[in-house]
Amino acid sequence: MATDRGNSDEYVRPIRRILVIGLLTFLVGLFLLWRIDSPRAERFRAMLVDRFVPSMDWALVPVTKVADMIEGFESYSRIYDQNQELRRELQQMRAWREAALQLEQENAKLLDLNKVRLDPALTYVTGVVLADSGSPFRQSVLLNVGARDGIMDGWATTDGLGLVGRISGVGQTTSRVILLTDPGSRIPVTVQPSGQRGILAGDNSALPPVDFIEDIDRVRPGDRVVSSGDGGVFPAGLLVGQLVTGPDQRLRVRLSADYERLEFLRVLRSQSAERIGEPGGLVVPEFEPEPRKEEDAVAQGEAGDG
Amino acid sequence: MADVIVTHNWRHRTLFLGLSFIIVFARLLPLDTGPGQFPGPDLLVCLAFAWVLRRPDYVPVAMIAAVILMTDILFMRPLGLWTACVVLGYEFLRSREPFSRDLPFMLEWTVVGTVITAMTLGYVIVLAVFAVDQPALGLTLLQMLATIAAYPLVVLFSARLLGLKKIPPGAVDQLGHKL
Repeated sequence: MATDRGNSDEYVRPIRRILVIGLLTFLVGLFLLWRIDSPRAERFRAMLVDRFVPSMDWALVPVTKVADMIEGFESYSRIYDQNQELRRELQQMRAWREAALQLEQENAKLLDLNKVRLDPALTYVTGVVLADSGSPFRQSVLLNVGARDGIMDGWATTDGLGLVGRISGVGQTTSRVILLTDPGSRIPVTVQPSGQRGILAGDNSALPPVDFIEDIDRVRPGDRVVSSGDGGVFPAGLLVGQLVTGPDQRLRVRLSADYERLEFLRVLRSQSAERIGEPGGLVVPEFEPEPRKEEDAVAQGEAGDG
Repeated sequence: MADVIVTHNWRHRTLFLGLSFIIVFARLLPLDTGPGQFPGPDLLVCLAFAWVLRRPDYVPVAMIAAVILMTDILFMRPLGLWTACVVLGYEFLRSREPFSRDLPFMLEWTVVGTVITAMTLGYVIVLAVFAVDQPALGLTLLQMLATIAAYPLVVLFSARLLGLKKIPPGAVDQLGHKL
């Protein structure tokens, strides 16, 4: 009795064991394949996600909306105060808007007078957030736009307020955005106004740290952090956030994007910027003049004289 | 007669698949996109282990492997490794299932907790050996503890709401085979 383990059929057990060993071999093989040829495996993953998640779209979006509404419902109790507050803010914003418009016109005029050429305007594709990474260890979201909409790997994503992340993994109808807070995210940034360069490295916390700042003394908490465009991956000048000092005395960034409410994201179409690859050569005539015999002789004679 | 058993099994298998789908769905909902939350328990593992210690015939290994592999793909984990860990743990528990029928629950919980700990450590060590980027060890251990803590709740849910009972000693199925 004690040795009788459940399914006592003499034939079933060995076959089952072989099948289980086969299954384990397959899984370990899959892991090795993923480790060896990660890009291919990730493409395979993106393809599967692309097949699977949009089919849950009909349920994912309404459930998210309802949950948001329930959350919003709780704030109805103080809706009057909120309304007043918003009106006041709107009033202030109108004044600011007027100022901004005037400044913009002035700026445009000055730029025109100076013949300054700006970056080509960034166009964007807007997508709805379908799903998040589902794991507390990875920070990414899935958008409902993909290769069909012309999305490409590496493009920057904002939520209108600030940089959110970059596209990593594109399926036919979906694409994955690795958020700036993901442990695998590294973004070159500039701290303004001092212009110090650094790398924003996600570490799974709400305030990602900035590494490799050359001169720590020239930056201070409260400085604006924007993307620097180094490495040609990102367009430069996208607002990332503000510098703060973390509880561990490291310089960290409070992100401008509203990470608690990622609903619609803009994927910025980056034109691959022209890059200056090599240092300039010597300034010489493009074609060599044909050497003539007399000139050669003269030249030699002169050389001999000298 | 055989058809009755088969449909009975399949009904429970479909139930398991449905529950897994709901769990995965809830995890995918983009409600809390901010970082720094407490990592919740891995309910799928709890569910699989609670079921295999009660009715192993309801949760065949291929189904478990397929479900966990799907979550590997969806949750951006390394492909296959966690599934292999779960399958190993599942097989271990399945082979012990006939002995655990008359064990008290505390003992069952201890065994499951040990298995989950071993799986997590094995997973972390293999990832370290293969030099894969890992989340902080503290977070992984927190999730492991949450999973172990959630196990009794999942058992309670399965037993009370779904009527999943341990096989009593000497029970037979409709064909007279010993379960």
